[in-house]
Amino acid sequence: MKSTRLAGNRTRNVDLVLLFLLMTIALVGYVDLHSSANVAVTGHDKAHLIRLVVGLVAATAIGFRDYRFLERWAYIIYGGVMLLLLAVLLVGDIRNGSQRWIDLGFFDLQPSELSKLAVIIALARYFHDLGERDRLGFADLWPPALMVAFPFVLILEEPDLGTGLVVLFIALTMMAVQRISWLVIGASGLAAAAAAPIMWFFVMHDYQKARVLAFMSPERHLQGDAWQVSQSMIAIGSGGLTGKGFLKGSQVQGGFVTYHETDFIFAHHAEQWGFLGSLLLLGLYLALAWWSLNIARTARDRFAMLCSVGVGAFVFWHVIINIGMVTGTLPVVGLWLPLVSYGGTATVTVMAAMGLLTSISLRRHVF
Amino acid sequence: MSSEASFGGALSGASEVAHRTRRLVLVGLVFLLPWVVIVARLWFLQLERGPHYQSLASGNFVRESDITPDRGRIFDAKGRVLAENRPSYDIMASPLVLFRNKEVPQLLATKLPIDRDKLDRLIAATQTGSGAEIVVRRDVPRDQVAVVETWKNELPGIYLRISQRRYYPFDSLAAHTIGYVSGISEEEVRSWESTGYTGGDQVGRTGLERWFESILRGAPGLERNVVDVRGVEQSASVANELLGSLRRVEPVPGQELVLTLDADLTQIADDAMARTPSGGLVALDPRDGSILALYSKPGFNLNAWSGRLSNEEKRRIDNDPFKPMLNKVTSSYFPGSTYKVVTAMAGLEEGLVNPKTEVDCNGVFHYGNRDFRCWNRGGHGEVNPSSALAASCDVYFYGLGVELGIDRLARYATEFGFGEMTGVTLPGESAGLVPTKAWHETHSDGGFQFGFAVNTSVGQGDVRTTPLQLALSYAALANGGSLFYPRLVDRIQLQDGTAVYEYPRKARRQLPFKPENIRQVMRGLRAVLDTEEGTAHEYRLSYVDAAGKTGTAQVRALDTARLDGSEALFADRDHAWFVAVAPVEDPRIVVAVFVEHGGHGASAAAPVAMKVIDRYFREVLGMDEAVTAYVDGSDRKRLHELLHEPEAVAAGAPPKVSGEPSAPMFRSPKEGSGSVPEVRP
Repeated sequence: MKSTRLAGNRTRNVDLVLLFLLMTIALVGYVDLHSSANVAVTGHDKAHLIRLVVGLVAATAIGFRDYRFLERWAYIIYGGVMLLLLAVLLVGDIRNGSQRWIDLGFFDLQPSELSKLAVIIALARYFHDLGERDRLGFADLWPPALMVAFPFVLILEEPDLGTGLVVLFIALTMMAVQRISWLVIGASGLAAAAAAPIMWFFVMHDYQKARVLAFMSPERHLQGDAWQVSQSMIAIGSGGLTGKGFLKGSQVQGGFVTYHETDFIFAHHAEQWGFLGSLLLLGLYLALAWWSLNIARTARDRFAMLCSVGVGAFVFWHVIINIGMVTGTLPVVGLWLPLVSYGGTATVTVMAAMGLLTSISLRRHVF
Repeated sequence: MSSEASFGGALSGASEVAHRTRRLVLVGLVFLLPWVVIVARLWFLQLERGPHYQSLASGNFVRESDITPDRGRIFDAKGRVLAENRPSYDIMASPLVLFRNKEVPQLLATKLPIDRDKLDRLIAATQTGSGAEIVVRRDVPRDQVAVVETWKNELPGIYLRISQRRYYPFDSLAAHTIGYVSGISEEEVRSWESTGYTGGDQVGRTGLERWFESILRGAPGLERNVVDVRGVEQSASVANELLGSLRRVEPVPGQELVLTLDADLTQIADDAMARTPSGGLVALDPRDGSILALYSKPGFNLNAWSGRLSNEEKRRIDNDPFKPMLNKVTSSYFPGSTYKVVTAMAGLEEGLVNPKTEVDCNGVFHYGNRDFRCWNRGGHGEVNPSSALAASCDVYFYGLGVELGIDRLARYATEFGFGEMTGVTLPGESAGLVPTKAWHETHSDGGFQFGFAVNTSVGQGDVRTTPLQLALSYAALANGGSLFYPRLVDRIQLQDGTAVYEYPRKARRQLPFKPENIRQVMRGLRAVLDTEEGTAHEYRLSYVDAAGKTGTAQVRALDTARLDGSEALFADRDHAWFVAVAPVEDPRIVVAVFVEHGGHGASAAAPVAMKVIDRYFREVLGMDEAVTAYVDGSDRKRLHELLHEPEAVAAGAPPKVSGEPSAPMFRSPKEGSGSVPEVRP
C-alpha cells in the first residue's frame, strides 16, 4: 500500500510553517475570543477551544489521508452540498431574517459554508481533468461557470451575500491561474458590469441594499448597520498604536459592538492590541495565504495545486472582506474571521481546509 | 512513483513549472493589493484618527454626572436657618440608552405625568450617543419615585438621582429679602454655558438668593462612571482603572450667609402689620446700619415659588393688586411729611430759621396765585422748628421751601441719602427721586414752576423715597450724623462656619451739618411723641424716650380735596408713614413703617412702628422684666442700665459700632485667611 510506504517520512514532511501559522492564528483568535467572553460570561470561548481541538484532530486526520480521494469524490461531494443548499431553502431554520441553517439536533449545519470547500474541490477536479491547455474559451468555461453560479444564486437566496461573494472570489482566484483567452476575460468583465444593476434591482434584498446605502453615506443611516459599524470603527480606532491592553477594550467590553464574538471579533483584537496587533494578525493571514500559494507551487499535481490556491483564496478573501467590513471599508455583508470568530461550521470548515492543505503539502515530494 | 508522470494533471515540463510559478506569484501580488488597502485603512483609523476615536470611545463609556454642590445656607443673626437644603429625587435619563431603546420614552409617558414631546426634545438636544445624562423631572413626589423603582427593569436608561432642593423653614417670613430659587431655563443654560450652569440647576431669582448667587451656589463637582451600552454602571475597579483620578471632582459647597436680620423681629413686624394689606417695614440698628428686619407685605411662600409653582398660585400672585412680589422696602413712594426733616435741616443750616423762629400758621399758604393748605385746616397758630415737626405743620415748611428753592432742598435731600441707592445687597433697589429745577425742566409738563418747591418741601410733588432710605437717614440723625451703608449680611462663611468675609460697619458719609442743628431736628422729632401737640403722641412708649415723624403722603394731586381714609377708593387713599427712633439717647433701633394707601400716618403707621419697638426691647433684647419693673415703678434703674450701658446689654444684641469712616470697604476678617469672595458693591 502506498500509504503505508509513506508512513516513514510523513512526520518528517509535516509542513511546520503551515502548522506554526495555523497554531499562532488560532492562539491569537482564542485570546480575542476569551476577551469577548468577558463581555458576557457565556463560556463560548471554552466551546471554541473544544471546537479548535476537534477541528485540529480532524485536520490532522484529513492531512494524513491522501487528498486524492477528494479528487475522486469531488463531484459527488459537490452534488451533495448542492442538495443541502436546496434543502436549507426548503427546511432550514430562519434566524435574523435569513435561512442558512439545518438543525441536525446536535449541530446546526450551514451548507453555505460547506459549499466553499465543495466549489474548490469541484473546480480543481474540472481544471485538473481539463489538463494543461492554452487559451481556454467559452466552450471550456461554461461548466465551471455553472458550478459557481448554481451555489452562488442559492446562497444569495438564503440570503447570505458575504458567503456568496467569497464563493465568487474563490472561483475567480482559481480561474486566475488558468490560461484563459482574453476574449473570455473581456466578455466576462462586460457581463459583470451589466449584471450589477440587474443584481441591484432584482436579486439583492432590501437589507443588503440598505447596507450598501449605509456604507455609502453612514451619517444618514446612523441606526442599525451603520451604528454597528461606527461603534466597531470607534473600537478599532480608539485602539491607537499599541491598544488598550488585554480585557481593557472599553468599547467592546462595554457592549457597544454587536456581534463582537462572531463577525465583529476583530474589533476586540484591534481595540486591545492596537495597530501593531492588527498588523501582526493581518501579517499572519497574508503569510498563510502566501504559504498556501507556495504549497500550490510545489504541489505534485494540478488538482492539488488548484485546491491549495482555492483554500488560500478562501481564507484570504474571508479575512479581507471581514476586516474591510468591520473597519467600514466595505459594506456589512456578514462574514466571519477565519480561526478567530466564534462559530461551529466556520471553525470546522476552516480546519478541514487546513487539513487539505496539510495533506497536499505532505505529499509535495511524492512523485 | 513513476506512474505519477503520466497522471493527467501532473507537471509535464519545465515550462509548465515556470508558468505555474508565474501565475502563483501574480495571485500573490493580487493578494497583496487589498491587504495593503486594509492595512492603510487600519493605519488611518488607529493612528491618524486614533485620538478622535478615543474621545468618541470615552464619550461612549463614560457617564458624567454633575454633583450639585450644597447651596450655601442662610442664617439669621441668631443662627436660625432661613434657607437650607433638603433631599429630593429626580428622574434621570441616559440619552445613549434611550437611543437604543426607543420604546422607553413612550412607556415612561404612560407611567408618569411626563410630557413626551419635552422628553424627546431633551434627548435630541443631548449629543447623540454621548454619555451625558438628562433630568427628566425634578423633585418628584414619593409615588412617582415608587413607580420608577417598580418599573426599573422595563425602563432601561431611566433612573433616580438623589439631589437637593432649597427649603425655607419659615415659608414666607422675610420672603422678599431671602428670595427664592428656581430651575434654570433652557435659554439660560445656553447663554450661561461658560459659567458652568447645566440643565436642572437651581438659580436664585430674587432677594439674597439672587444677589449672592455666585457665592451661595458653590462649584459643581463631577462624577464619571464607566457604563456599558445599556447604561449599567461597571464596577468601581473598572472605573478606577479606566479613569483613575479623573473619576471624581469634588464639588465645592456654596458659602453661607449670616444675616443681621432677626427672624423674631421680622415675625413681630408681620404681627404688627397684621391689619395692613400692603406696605413695608424696616428696622435697623442706627449705630452701624445693621438691618434688623426687612419686611414687605403681602408676602409669598418661598417654598411654593422654589418648588413646582402651581399655575393657580402664580396667577393669584400675578393678579394680586398689592403686588406681592414687589419688595416695598426698596421701592420708592411719596414720603410725605417724613421728608420734612430735610426741609427743617436745610432751613437751620442755611440760617433761614433758628430754634426760636416762629411762624404763624393759619391753615393756608398763599404762593403765587395758588393756595397750599396745611393738613390742619384750622391752622397751628405760632409754630417753631420743633413744634412744626411735632405737629407736622405744612405751612411752616411751605414757607421754608419757597425760601430755600427746590435746588437747595435737593442738595440737603441728597446729603441725607435720598435720590441714591443705599447699597443694600438686594436686587431691584430703587434710588428714589429728588427733583431739582433741571429735573422738572425735562420731566414736567410746562417745565419748572415755582410751586414745585412748595410741594417738595413737604415730601409731595415728585419726591420719592424708599422706606430703607428713610430709616437710614433717620438713623443718621439719631446717631449724630453717620449715614451708614445698610448691613444686611453680617458675614459670609464656609460650610464649617469659618468666616471668609465680614461686612464692615461703614458710614457712607457724615452728614455735614452742625451738631446743634442735628440735635434741634431730633428735638422736633422727639416732640412728635413727647408733646401733646405731637402727631404720634398717643402711641408713645411709657418707658423709653422715642423720636419719630409721621407722614401722610397724598397719592392724588395736592389740590384735590383730601378724602378721609374710609371714604376714599383704596388706590386713592394716602400712604401712611412713620419713622421712629428709640431711645433718643444711645439709640438702638430705627423703624420705618410704610403702609401703602393706609390713610393717616399717625393712626395707620405710628402704632405699628411703636409696637415693633416695644416688642424689640421686651422680647428680642430680653428687657421685658426690666420694662415691667420700670412701668410698675419697682425698678427704674435696671432698664436705664440695659438701655444706656453697653456692658449690661443683653446677650445676642449686635455689637457696638466700631467702624470709622475711613475703614476699607472690603476687608478680610483675618489677615491672609483665604480669598475675599466677589461682592457686588
